[in-house]
Parts: sequence; structure tokens; C-alpha cells
Amino acid sequence: MAIEDVSFSLAPNQTLAVVGESGAGKSTIINAILGLVPCSSGQVTWNNAPVPHCRPALVMQEPRSAFNPRLSLRRSVMEPLVARRITVDPTRLEKLCDGLEISTDLLERRPAQISIGQAQRVGILRALIAAPPLVLFDEPLSALDAITQKHTARMIAELQRAEGFAALIVTHDLGYAATYSDQIAVLRAGRIEELTCARTFVEAPQTKYGRRLRDAAFALGALERAA
Amino acid sequence: MTIKAIGLSTIRSGRTILHPTDLVIEPGKRVGLVGPSGSGKSTLGHALVDRLRTQGQSVAHVPQSPDEALDPLRSMAFHWREATRAAKMASDPAKQQALFAALGIEGGNLRTRPWSWSRGMQQRFVIAMALIGTPALLVMDEPTSALDPVIAADTMDLLDSYLKNRQTALLLITHDLGLAAHRVARLMVMEDGRIVEDAPIEQILSTPKTSVAKALSAHRNWNELPC
Repeated sequence: MAIEDVSFSLAPNQTLAVVGESGAGKSTIINAILGLVPCSSGQVTWNNAPVPHCRPALVMQEPRSAFNPRLSLRRSVMEPLVARRITVDPTRLEKLCDGLEISTDLLERRPAQISIGQAQRVGILRALIAAPPLVLFDEPLSALDAITQKHTARMIAELQRAEGFAALIVTHDLGYAATYSDQIAVLRAGRIEELTCARTFVEAPQTKYGRRLRDAAFALGALERAA
Repeated sequence: MTIKAIGLSTIRSGRTILHPTDLVIEPGKRVGLVGPSGSGKSTLGHALVDRLRTQGQSVAHVPQSPDEALDPLRSMAFHWREATRAAKMASDPAKQQALFAALGIEGGNLRTRPWSWSRGMQQRFVIAMALIGTPALLVMDEPTSALDPVIAADTMDLLDSYLKNRQTALLLITHDLGLAAHRVARLMVMEDGRIVEDAPIEQILSTPKTSVAKALSAHRNWNELPC
């Protein structure tokens, strides 16, 4: 899916949520940032250097299939460090595991032996292990049930506060976007229709499509209208 | 006709997925079945559908994944004819057009096989198949999980207008109490293969008894969470 004339900026500790319908180009934005698809025009930079130089991390939608099924989770988590020949303080792993409620014996298992909710937390652990300044989340909660979603969202927010990374979250869940992001970008047919502060968006969307999205979130019970 | 199934249970590889369960649903009543991932909701849905079919009752089932409903080697037109026959209805192109238009899949080519339709379109096609006739019970298992919010909200509206003036009862299976909250009168809460709570929806929203119902109720939308 092509995207056109998409511009935004994101600072450390800030969260931008990209919402919109399937095929609007949400994942293409992630791929363009990572350099997985070439941009025919425009540029993506972090501190005035191309984004890949800052080693951004990605959290994928399908947590279980994001891991090599034959490796223990510990090996998968350590792979970004091994691949880049860097070492981190062992207490860092411990600290992140604490924050994500991952017990150390869980890491000795393989992906098929844990629940999807656990797998997504390990996916987040792997993304954060090398302390990236920018983390991209592609539908991080869509495979999880309603309770686990909220629990995981809170953990991500708390880790962000502690680590200070910038987060770009692609999601179709407006409730999540409105609660946990600073800005919301509404993407439609490859263009940003609306880019506003999350609060403002829920109270008064500026575009017709934005309003439909917001009203759908009310209709589906993701958000409840203020009394 | 009252839906009645006594002693439903499911054991898979020696493990009890669904403990013996009795289910009675009054004609035309809307019932929600909620619970966390892996609590046995879909298993109960399958067991109920199988039982009612062997009893010769009319029941339409929208499984969680369209893969369960669509034969990859058959055209969409074949599925439509089969569903029309199963619902004991005569072919009615005008009604088919209206259903497709209401679900936004009028552009789909019926001569192609399922895999040339997008996931969301497949899901809506399966919902359309379920709405051809007037069964005694409609079982919908996470009907909106593959849909964009705007389309999901439209689909739930269509379901509302379908159920109005019909004696068809609804069993809505979902992990998301927010989705069920305004659409069902009675709610059953599942945990570890058992129905642990079964009461009018208002009662469960206001005074949930079990810890799982409390968690589902507290996490039914994003409103209560810190920003």
C-alpha cells in the first residue's frame, strides 16, 4: 500500500498512534521508517541521521510467530545483542523482566509452550533489550484478550516512562490510542487526514472519517462517552 | 423454540476443555458469553452448535475464523448456494444484494475462491451466510475481530436490525465485555471450562461476583485507565 505526503515528528518519551482502516498504509509507515521499503521521496531521520542508524526496534503483531520456534525464548531475546556484538548489564535483563512480569524460567521455554499474552511480553522484552531510542509497535495488542490488552498497555507505558524511548504505535483500537498516546494520526488511503492531540481527537475529531472512527469506538464499547 | 442443551462437555487429548454444562436460551433472547483467552468459550459454542444440529434444530454459526467456514477449493458462489440450501430458503438475488451492500462486500467476486478475498471480507461473507434465513439460534464467535472499527460497528448495527422482529436467539461469544455490554440482556462468564456466572448484564456490570467477572467488567473499555 502506497503512502503519500506523510509527515510527523516524534520526540523521546512521546507516543504517536497511527490509526485507520486496513489497507490505509499503516504498516507501510513502519516499513518505511525501518527502511524495509524505499521511499521514492522524502526522508525519515532521527537526530538528523537516517533512522536505521539509531537502531529502532519493532514489536510485531503475532507474538508467537515472531520467534524462532526451535530456540529458547532466552536465545531469541539475546539475539539482537549477539548479532550486534554488544553486551548489556545483566541486571538490565532482570529489570526488564520484572517490569514485564516475566519469570526467568519462562525464558527457558520455547514459543509454543507459553501463552500469547506471555509471548507478547517477551516480544516487548526483545525489542527493549538493547535500549533503542525508538520503538515501533505494529498492532501490539490485537492478538490479546481484553484484560491482557489493558495490562500489557500499562506495562508498555511504565517502561516508556522508565526508559524514555519514543513510541510509534500502529493500532486499530482507538480506545488504546486515545488512552496511551500523545498524538493520533488518522491515516486514510495513504494520507494523514488528521494529526491531533489524543484528547482533542476523542472530544472533537476534525474530519468526517475521524468522527466515524471515534463513533465506532463508542459503538463497539472501546470507549465510553463521558456522562 | 427454546434452546436447550444438557450436559455439554468436551475432552481433548485427555484434558477437559469444557466441564459438563447445561444451557437454556429462551426464544429470541440475546445472550453474551465472555471470558479470557483459553477459557473454553469457542469450545462451548462448537459443542452447542453440534448438539443442536444433531437434534435437528436450525442454528447458524459464525466461527471465529472464516477458515473454519470456507472451503478453500470452492467458490464463494458455491458457499452461498450451500448456505441458502441449509437455511431452507429459495435463492433470492435481491436479498443477497441487500445483505452484501449492508456489509460492504458487494464488490466481491463470487466466482473466485475464499483466498482471493481479504480476511475482513471473508468474515463479512460468513456473517452474511448466517443471516440468510431465520434460525432458532445464531452463534457468533468474535464476529468483529477481523474487521476495522468502522466496519465492525456497521456490522453490529446490521445484526441489531436483523434480530429485531425475529424469534432468532443470539449467543455472542467475545473476550470483550465492552462489545457485549449494550447488545445482550443476559451474560454468561466463563473461566477454565466452566460457566462461573450467569446473570442479567446490568447485574454483572454493577455487581460482578467472581474475580474473572470483576476483571472483565473493570477492563471493558479504556476509560478508567490513567492517561
